[in-house]
Amino acid sequence: MDALNDNGSVLSVRNLSTVFETGNAATCAVRDVSFDLRPDERLGIVGESGSGKSAMALSILGLIEPPGRVSGGEILLGGRDISKLSDRQMGAVRGKEIALVLQDPSTALDPVKTIGRQIIEVLAAHEPDLKRKAARKRAVELLEDVDISHAERRLDDYPHQYSGGMRQRVAIAMAIALNPKVLIADEPTTALDVTTQAQILSLMDRLVEDHNTAVIFITHNLGVVSEFCDSVAVMYTGRFVETSGVEHIFSAPTHPYSEALLNCVPNPEKLAQGPLPAITGFPPDLSQLPSGCSFAPRCPVGKDLAQCYEKAPVTHRISCPDGEVGVECHFAEARARGAST
Amino acid sequence: MARVIVYRILGSIAAVFGASLLAFLIMRALPGDPARVILGPLASPKALVEVRHELGLDKSLFVQYWDYITSFLSGNWGYSYTLNAPVKSLFVERFPATIELALFSFIFTMATAIALALLSTYRRRPVTDGVVRGASYLGFGTPPFFLGVLLLIIFFKSLHWLPGPEGRLGIGAEAPPSATGLYPIDALLAGDLSTFWESIRHLILPSIALGVASFSFIVRLLRANLLEVSREPFLIVARGKGLARWTAFRRHALPNAFLPTLTTAGLVLGEFLAGSVLVERVFDWPGIGSLVYEAIVKQDFAIVQAFVLFSALMFVAVNLIVDLLYAAIDPRVRIPAVTAT
Repeated sequence: MDALNDNGSVLSVRNLSTVFETGNAATCAVRDVSFDLRPDERLGIVGESGSGKSAMALSILGLIEPPGRVSGGEILLGGRDISKLSDRQMGAVRGKEIALVLQDPSTALDPVKTIGRQIIEVLAAHEPDLKRKAARKRAVELLEDVDISHAERRLDDYPHQYSGGMRQRVAIAMAIALNPKVLIADEPTTALDVTTQAQILSLMDRLVEDHNTAVIFITHNLGVVSEFCDSVAVMYTGRFVETSGVEHIFSAPTHPYSEALLNCVPNPEKLAQGPLPAITGFPPDLSQLPSGCSFAPRCPVGKDLAQCYEKAPVTHRISCPDGEVGVECHFAEARARGAST
Repeated sequence: MARVIVYRILGSIAAVFGASLLAFLIMRALPGDPARVILGPLASPKALVEVRHELGLDKSLFVQYWDYITSFLSGNWGYSYTLNAPVKSLFVERFPATIELALFSFIFTMATAIALALLSTYRRRPVTDGVVRGASYLGFGTPPFFLGVLLLIIFFKSLHWLPGPEGRLGIGAEAPPSATGLYPIDALLAGDLSTFWESIRHLILPSIALGVASFSFIVRLLRANLLEVSREPFLIVARGKGLARWTAFRRHALPNAFLPTLTTAGLVLGEFLAGSVLVERVFDWPGIGSLVYEAIVKQDFAIVQAFVLFSALMFVAVNLIVDLLYAAIDPRVRIPAVTAT
């Protein structure tokens, strides 16, 4: 099961689409997304709320619930397409090969089960022969691994006896328990205060390193991306509009949306320039996407250009000084050249 | 935990005290003279004074109340002049029939409510959900005694499937040797299968009539709780561990959804145990409810007064048990949360 995909990636997503069908409206949460994840890669996925980040995470795990469904594409893991597996077969993949950490640690743990039971649950789900004592021992080790003191005693505590940061550590312990190849972290630090955020990030940093786990890190916090990730995908209306190495996004964002996102990050050096700019307008309704570029109505570049409303841009692969970049914009090449000169 | 228990018990005592005060005052405030009722319209003033003295009605209200409470607690619940027997022995004689109906109806109500709530939420099929919700609305709006008559017309009069209003067993049938006082269990203990079956057949219609209103309420409550809990992130986490859909639902959604229902279930059982006057009347069920019906008709105040306090006691006792059970099951009630990290 340690095999990689043919192209050397641990996870390869091809043309993934997810729709939510309610009544006669179909909301396209993920639209034709493709990417490869290297075995040690940390891919940050950034975008506004409702851009399809979480839907993509759940799609990869096969956890999209009706009325939603994965409507197309392939998800290759270890050379096989897991998007075609039955729910039962997927059960063997979830937790063991691809694990999940969610945003809000206060709701991610069952309030009436002990921490220990919830950790052991993931072990037992994949190792039915596991003895009680051995399971407990491993649960203690896992808690120690995520820096929870008095782990043996705290195993029998309930979630409400843990602080938010500790609960998120438990969630991480459960996720890495079986050395998954891929960890999907859906805004794992968003609900935490800044100090705790930093601790959780450094913990993840260490564990991911130790366990050789590839990470898909979903966030809307670009600061966290710069700290933790080595590549980044900017998601807008269910599509990856720009994918690149992490340096590129911060030094020379090519897509106008990436640039706009970056401008929204508070930066002490730019304090003098007045209040933070905001991206004008709102993301379009995903059930009524405009033809052409979905960012056009808000785009500082294409707002008034007929071309942007008529034709949907294709992905341009551009070689930049800091590696290859994929940009979905009619002006990608011009903008990339402009940035490098 | 000890604190919780003490607190709940004190609360229960206060509730019973309140109920006893209410029962006492209402009986005193009602028009009509108990002595006159006992002796009839032709009694001499002298005899009336004597009986009033005998009943303690010439003492101050406070003393009367004190006598009432102390004698109730010491087992002297008064004397029924219409049935010529101590009230307590009448209750003792009638209570097993009420317990039998209450327990059977309660189990029946809870089992169907749980099954239907699961059916309408687990797969979320709109049609099933609609049918269950519709049925629960109907049940909610139907008075139990009317439903009882309706059931008798259909299943007894027309279809001849089930016995008519003839109490716990057919007319002339011999009761099984008494061990628990509950006929189905006693019959089973005696190895008498035909009596067992007969008693079950006699229980079906009154159980439905008694339980339908509570059933409707519990279905709707449970359904709402299940829907709410099934949206909780900890269910996604459980699925993300690799648990099968049903396993995750059973382990994490059900217990969390049942907790809020427990209180209602307790109220329902308490209500059933206090005896339903109208349902017992319709089915000629020889329980507390029938006794009270006769007492009301014949203005036998000793029975009514004892009944009010008795039903309050039942109610409070069941709810005390529920509260303690709640504390035992829900760690958030039992164990205080952390405040510091």
